[in-house]
Amino acid sequence: MSSELSVDEITAIETVNDVSAARRRGMTIALEMGFDRADATRIAVAISELARNIVVYANQGMIRITSDHNAEPPYIQVIASDNGPGIDDVDLAMTDHWTSSRGLGLGLSGSRRLMDDFNIETEVGRGTTITVTKWLK
Amino acid sequence: MFTGIQKLEKMLLVSVPSDLLDDDVIRMRRDILRAIREYDSDIVVLDFHLVDICDSFFGRFIYSTSKTVELMGARIIIAGLQDAVIETMVELGMTLPEVDVVIDLDEAMRLTRKRANGTSTDVITKIDEMANALSLEFDDNVFRA
Ligand SMILES: Nc1ncnc2c1ncn2[C@@H]1O[C@H](COP(=O)(O)OP(=O)(O)OP(=O)(O)O)[C@@H](O)[C@H]1O
Ligand SMILES: [Mg+2]
Repeated sequence: MSSELSVDEITAIETVNDVSAARRRGMTIALEMGFDRADATRIAVAISELARNIVVYANQGMIRITSDHNAEPPYIQVIASDNGPGIDDVDLAMTDHWTSSRGLGLGLSGSRRLMDDFNIETEVGRGTTITVTKWLK
Repeated sequence: MFTGIQKLEKMLLVSVPSDLLDDDVIRMRRDILRAIREYDSDIVVLDFHLVDICDSFFGRFIYSTSKTVELMGARIIIAGLQDAVIETMVELGMTLPEVDVVIDLDEAMRLTRKRANGTSTDVITKIDEMANALSLEFDDNVFRA
């Protein structure tokens, strides 16, 4: 397989337009890698949720999309990072329907369900980095 | 007026664009409300066939729009959700408890006519039934509202 299918791209996230661009890009990369439409949609929705959280809670940050088509199995990984306020109680934040704003409280818990792997590192006052991965089946 | 709204008898047909940004959402909702008032519409059909990514923000838009439309005495029907979109909505944990979901615009038309005639409303489906019909596997507690 060609190395064009392995990507490493960073999108700065500041506005909802950036959120839209990042999820669109994730969808495109996933489909090009051979993920089916359902999985590509899962990846795009997870990107959308994480990027929107950056805009809402941290004002700005970035989404890094990496994929390795030569890995066994191939995967796509999304890293959402910001230097925002961080999350005090991660377990609470990960609970379905818990929100500190007026959201549905589904972004984090839902992204975990949509992806194969979910990892969160956060420190109050320093920021949040969330890494999600999906493997090609 | 938002160009994606058409009037068909007592029905408003709204074509939802694939990428809905925050400003579009607000404009679209305002235009829908204005059109309901102008045409005295009973039913608002949101046609989702162009939508390929539906996140929790989108879900909130559907919910709040249906609430507002209800306050004006009309009802929302959601038509044309793609299978992949339904699957991800369910996994994300979104519920559309008071919204009717039909497979396509034909079905939306049929439902609207039946309602107008006061006959049965048996084609009404909720999003979870729709997911069931697609025989998806999902976590039960996803549906707790
Ligand atoms: N990047 C972040 N920085 C700081 N706090 C965050 C961040 N992401 C999430 N949170 C916190 O975690 C909570 C849960 O986030 P989640 O995305 O699950 O739900 P929500 O954003 O409140 O609602 P929804 O995403 O369903 O619209 C948020 O309300 C917020 O308090
Ligand atoms: Mg969120």
